[in-house]
Parts: sequence; structure tokens; C-alpha cells
Amino acid sequence: MNLIERLSHLDRRVIFLLVAFAVVIPMLQPIGLPIDITKPVKKVYDKIESLAPGSIVLLSTDFDPGSEAELYPATEAIIEHCFRKNLKIYVMGLWPAGSDLGNLALNKIAPRYNKNYGTDYINVGYRPGGAVMLLSLGKNFGDIIKVDYQGTPIDLLELGRAVKSSKNLGLVMTLSAGDPGILHWIIYFHARYGVPICGATTAIMAPQQYTYLGSGQLVGLLGGLKGAAEYEVLVNRKGRASIGMDSQSIVHVLLVIFILLGNIILLHQKGKR
Amino acid sequence: MKRTLPLIIVAGSGFFMLVAFFIPSKFFQDTSQTFQNWYIGVAAFFVFIGILNLVKINIEKIQRKLRDWRYCYILLFFLAFTMATGFIQGREGKAFLYMFYNFQTPLGATMFSLLAFFMASATFRAFRAKTPEATILLIAALLVMLGRIPVGYWIWHNYPDLVEWIMTGPNTAAKRGILFGIDLGLISMALRVLLGIERSYMGGGGE
Repeated sequence: MNLIERLSHLDRRVIFLLVAFAVVIPMLQPIGLPIDITKPVKKVYDKIESLAPGSIVLLSTDFDPGSEAELYPATEAIIEHCFRKNLKIYVMGLWPAGSDLGNLALNKIAPRYNKNYGTDYINVGYRPGGAVMLLSLGKNFGDIIKVDYQGTPIDLLELGRAVKSSKNLGLVMTLSAGDPGILHWIIYFHARYGVPICGATTAIMAPQQYTYLGSGQLVGLLGGLKGAAEYEVLVNRKGRASIGMDSQSIVHVLLVIFILLGNIILLHQKGKR
Repeated sequence: MKRTLPLIIVAGSGFFMLVAFFIPSKFFQDTSQTFQNWYIGVAAFFVFIGILNLVKINIEKIQRKLRDWRYCYILLFFLAFTMATGFIQGREGKAFLYMFYNFQTPLGATMFSLLAFFMASATFRAFRAKTPEATILLIAALLVMLGRIPVGYWIWHNYPDLVEWIMTGPNTAAKRGILFGIDLGLISMALRVLLGIERSYMGGGGE
């Protein structure tokens, strides 16, 4: 049996082991590959930079722990940038677990910038209803949001009182892992109320968003962990995304090698026939 | 009557919402807002239906001793325990948050991460250039995979621009075509529902 025939019967546990090494080794021994900045990510950065201090950014954490590895680093980077610019952050989630992950990032970063709950940021928790809820929300926040995630009446919070409708928002930033998520914000919130939308999505969702980037309905995009890593470079922050880039690079290279090997085996088998 | 009444409600409310979207009068806007608020209330109730369904399915599995039925005990125990901590201590309760951040978050991330291993195995066994179309897809995938990581930039500084062109050009063109198709299908399906032609949502097929 020659090498190619042996490879064609490669045990999948060997593949699993190689992937595990490709993930773990660069984390223990970082390579520090250079991270380039793509246009969609730069546009998100520029949009936040262009907002006047005191503007309100609605941060919609539309993901759950399953996508935490890809989207949580982006959440931290965006929150950090907003606080540096003295923007106010209004957190909500279209997914039940999203707002808790938003809280995790807020509680970590807000004290560093002396930001206070109620005046500089609030979290109104999970909001069910998807598209229909967003249509109502843009018209009148008071109809939909009466309390924050802890049950505090929204009118008792300065930032809660400040947001009456979509007109009070400078930007919507959605961190989206699926449905409901970024498409709902673009189709129902931006189209109806004209609020600019930026997004961070899982890598698998990113290609579809280029349709909306091209049309201008989406201002900018952070696609997957790479997008988050680019943003960390822009805001000069060494976070989990930048650290994870080496692992992701090696795994991608490994996958490319697997694909090439698979096709060499295919050609070999065709040749034999 | 059992089928006619739901059809009248669906058609009436559906056409009303359609008309209200284009007419900015107070009556239409206020009424459509009320309908939307009702929907949000119903949507919130779906969570309870989901929980009831989950409990029902798992109890049935235990009773019938179906495959992996013992795991159902773990699921039901943690469901009850998490709900109890949430109700007793509130959303900011120590036990509730501890379980969310230390159980649910890492477990959820782990489940999703396992995909990387199966994906690697699948790329080796299934991603093969058997036809000209598959070959084009494969070449595009290889280019994008390398261009979407720092290695691409490291190989050639203009490589990410090439990938960006693939994403904004061919990718967007294909996606838009697919989206137009989906949206036309959605519009025709919505019309079928509003006109009472499509009745499968009431259960029991088209009749």
C-alpha cells in the first residue's frame, strides 16, 4: 500500500488530533502574525469615531454562548471604543442569553472608564418578538421597554428616559449569530426608521452581509473572529480575538492541506481506474 | 366554521397590517401598533410553550426508556434548578449567574467548537473537485480561506484585497440572486396565506 492509499484510509481521530494541536500550540506559543484591516471593519471604526460625545449607541447582543467565542471579543472591543469616545450604550438582546453576555463585558469595561449604570449605559435585557418588536420599538421605545433587565422602571434611569424613539439613537450595533439578528435590524429597523446599522456576525454569516454593505444599508461589518481581531488592532487592544488569530490561521492552513490532500487522493483513484 | 373563522382572522388582520404600513393615519397606526403589541405578548409566551414541550418530551423519553434516557434526568434537574435559583434569587442572584457564566457559557462554546473537528474531517473526505462547478467552488473557497486569516496578508500584502473583491463581486452577485428568489417566494407564500390558498399552517395539510 503506497502513501496515497494509506492517506485515503486515514483514521478521522488523526485529523481530530491534528486540529487539536493546531488550536492549542499557537495559544501556548503565539506566532504573532500581522493582522490587516479590511474595509468593512474600518467603516465600523470610522462610524463610531464620527459620533459626537454623548451620542447613544444601541448595542444588540443577538447571540448566545454557542457563538461566544466569535462574538464576545467583538462585544468587548466595541464597548471599549464607545466608552473611550464618551458614547452612551443602550444594551438589549433579541436572544435570551445575549444581554447577560453583554453585561459580562459591560461590568468588565465600564469601571475602567468610570462609567455608571443608568447614566452612561443600561441593559434592558432580552426582548422577544423579533421583527414585529423592532417595528414597534423604533416608533416608541416606551411601548416595548418599561423596565431594565433587573426590573427597574426605565423612567428612573437617565439613559432610559433619554431614548424615546429611534430618533434618539446615533447607531445600532448588532452582534448577531443568526435569526433574529442583523437581517431584522437592517430590513425592519434601518429601512423603516433610517438609523445607521453596523454589525458583527459569525464568520459563516458574513458573506451574506456583503449584499447590504454594497447597498449601504449596512455601514460596516466585523466578520467572525478575524473581524474582531481587526477591531482590536484599530482600538489598540490586545484581546481574545487577536490571541485566537494564530490558532485560526494554523487551522485554516491545515484545512487547506486537507482539501488538497483529499483531491490528490481523488485524482490518484481516478488515474487508477 | 372551524376552518373558515381562522381564515377570515388571518386574511383580515394580514390585509389590515399591509394597508396600515402605507397609510399614516392615526387610526391605522394605533391599531396596527396594538396588533404588534399583542404579537409581542404572544411571542413571549412561546418561551413557556418551549419549556413545557421540553419537559413533556423528556418525561416521555424517561417513561419509554428510549435511547440515552438517563441524560433526561440531568436535563430536567438542571432546568428545574436553574429556574428555581432564578425565581428565588432573581436575575442577579449569585447561583443563577454562576451557572450561566460557568456552566452554560463554556458548554455552549464547547458544543459549537466541536464543529471544527467534524468540519476538518469533512473537508478531507467530501470537499472534492468532481465536477467543473465543484472545482470553481473549491478554488474560491481555498482563496477565501487563506485570505481571511493573517497568513494571507503575510503571504502577499494585496491578498486580502483579492478576497475582498471575491466577496463584494461574485459572492454578492450570487447572494443577491438567491435573495431575490427567496423574497419572491416569500411574497407569493404570503399572498397564498392571505388569500386562503395556503392552509397548511392550520395543520392537516392543504385541506
